[in-house]
Amino acid sequence: MGEFIHFLGENLSDFWTYTGFANATAGHLVMILVGLFFIYLAVKKEFEPMLLIPIGFGILIGNIPFNMEAGLQVGIYEQGSVLNILYQGVTSGWYPPLIFLGIGAMTDFSALISNPKLMLIGAAAQFGIFGAYMIALQWGFDPMQAAAIGIIGGADGPTAIFLSSKLAPNLMGAIAVSAYSYMALVPVIQPPVMRLLTTKHERLIRMKPPRVVSHTEKVIFPIVGLLLTCFLVPSGLPLLGMLFFGNLLKESGVTRRLAETARGPLIDTITILLGLTVGASTQASEFLTMNSLKIFGLGALSFIIATASGVLFVKIFNLLLKKENKINPLIGNAGVSAVPDSARISQILGLEYDPTNYLLMHAMGPNVAGVIGSAVAAGILLGFLI
Amino acid sequence: MDKNKIGVFLSLLLALGLTGCKEHKSNSKLVINEVLITNEHNFQDDYGEHNAWVEIFNRSYGSSNLAACLLKASNTPGDTLTYFIPKGDVLTAIAPRQHALFWADGKPNRGTFHTNFTLDATADNWIGLFDAGNNLLDEVVIPANTLGADKSYARVNDGSEEWEVKGGSDDKYVTPCTNNQTIDNNAKMEKFQLHDSAGIGMAITAMSVVFIGLILLYISFRFIGKASVALSRRRAMAVKGITDKQEAKEKKLGEAHGEVFAAIAMAMHEMQSDVHDVEDTVLTITRVKRSYSPWSSKIYTLRETPHKK
Repeated sequence: MGEFIHFLGENLSDFWTYTGFANATAGHLVMILVGLFFIYLAVKKEFEPMLLIPIGFGILIGNIPFNMEAGLQVGIYEQGSVLNILYQGVTSGWYPPLIFLGIGAMTDFSALISNPKLMLIGAAAQFGIFGAYMIALQWGFDPMQAAAIGIIGGADGPTAIFLSSKLAPNLMGAIAVSAYSYMALVPVIQPPVMRLLTTKHERLIRMKPPRVVSHTEKVIFPIVGLLLTCFLVPSGLPLLGMLFFGNLLKESGVTRRLAETARGPLIDTITILLGLTVGASTQASEFLTMNSLKIFGLGALSFIIATASGVLFVKIFNLLLKKENKINPLIGNAGVSAVPDSARISQILGLEYDPTNYLLMHAMGPNVAGVIGSAVAAGILLGFLI
Repeated sequence: MDKNKIGVFLSLLLALGLTGCKEHKSNSKLVINEVLITNEHNFQDDYGEHNAWVEIFNRSYGSSNLAACLLKASNTPGDTLTYFIPKGDVLTAIAPRQHALFWADGKPNRGTFHTNFTLDATADNWIGLFDAGNNLLDEVVIPANTLGADKSYARVNDGSEEWEVKGGSDDKYVTPCTNNQTIDNNAKMEKFQLHDSAGIGMAITAMSVVFIGLILLYISFRFIGKASVALSRRRAMAVKGITDKQEAKEKKLGEAHGEVFAAIAMAMHEMQSDVHDVEDTVLTITRVKRSYSPWSSKIYTLRETPHKK
């Protein structure tokens, strides 16, 4: 009997070593709090809930402590585990292009086509990427890591994941979480910068309403867009190819079912898998490092620089434009490709100063140009560094 | 566009495509990469013997299979030996940017990677690699007495055009089954670290490329937009019976803003849904033509009920 009780005691003690309670560290608890904070932001503040709920819950999943030496095959970094298999879409970079397919199928480029000069704002805002790249170099990162961190300034989660999986896979978790966090925090980051850099008079500028764009133009756009951008930067092909393909599905008018799948079930499925696995990849042992803190700092700086460069570019551009063609600098922030949040900020701020000045449609132009611009920038960085 | 024009267009396209598809041997994925003839103390085969070897490199970024390819060698004019690389050996599949090594020992019974020919250092050695259809993929001639013992004739870098004699020095070394130049650094990144430590060069060049890309798009759509406006103006002129272009321009025909259409649509919607409680309704039934596609066919989505006979 005594031997039996001893056996049970040993079993229980062995079982204890497998539990989360026995393996928990301060790092795990910190990360669980971060995950809970993300879920709070999503549920209570409604900051990007589609992203922050999967990522926040993924952080909880990834930070359940377990005995890592037991070979349980449950961790995201354990080869062959279910989470590891789902994570392959991130590490080998095929989730982001599929997300881009969906984005293409849901994006209306009419605002951009009707006023193509707004594309240049989307280009100017990409300085956020390279500004952060320069600062990252000064902070001790090597060029490949700096490029992967800089892309946070493109405000494009899939692009950030795609590029970091190629250039700095070990930093991908921190970069992805940082990119998505700041995209959710666009309403907090951008308005002060926009107010600081514009005068009251500039904020009241009324822009000419966009003209009607014909169906033919909408069909031509993804084809010409693909050919021009990918001939220039072939390394951007996975992202740009899928973006423009998705848009052609939408605009052709004859592939409604495919377009609906791309912008509906497909993008939803990939968003769930991407968000969850990116969140789970933030295992405390891999994530809680000084580099992660630096990446978060650089992410904030890159968003600020991107917003400032977009706004300042519009101010400079206005010097060259006729009075009736002037652009309201409040849409400069929309060059940051957080679609459609940054365009929404332009609208809200515009209405604050003139309740009859609707900037949303104008801001959508640079906003979608920012998507193209950040994918082009990612292609350039890949081409330069690999 | 009538059918004749479409036919001519497709024929021209096909002709252009066929011209462009002409195969150049330098474009083949598989190339001969390194050859060693006199093997005294170099790489041993799996029988512990030192023999001549030929290294083949897959320079593509996809797998490539050597099965059924032909490896031919000749060191006497008019006398060419052909080795048929056997099918059914998984090892003949070469991973992207990897190598396969064949022993030129004249003992094909020893396995897939042992050829039926040998090489002679005192004569010119021609070696050719052919695909399963006997099309030349790559060839090399190693001139007589070029190679001393344990020296190889190899491409300077994997898959590059230039060849050199390797062996006997620190920067030119014999590399069976591996890269002709060991890659122990990231040259591009090191260049950036050396010449652009502040990142200014990268920022300027990359921003220029981003701007060029979007400026090209801007220019294209400026022209496409103008053409589109001109087209819709012409249509509006035809509808309104206006022939004077100046008049059409003054009346801004074809340049209506989206807001105008939105207002019209809103007014129509309000008139149809809010103002009138009951409307005279005319129901028009039009035959809908649907072109057949297996994707939309009900035949493929229904399962036949089993019936007893």
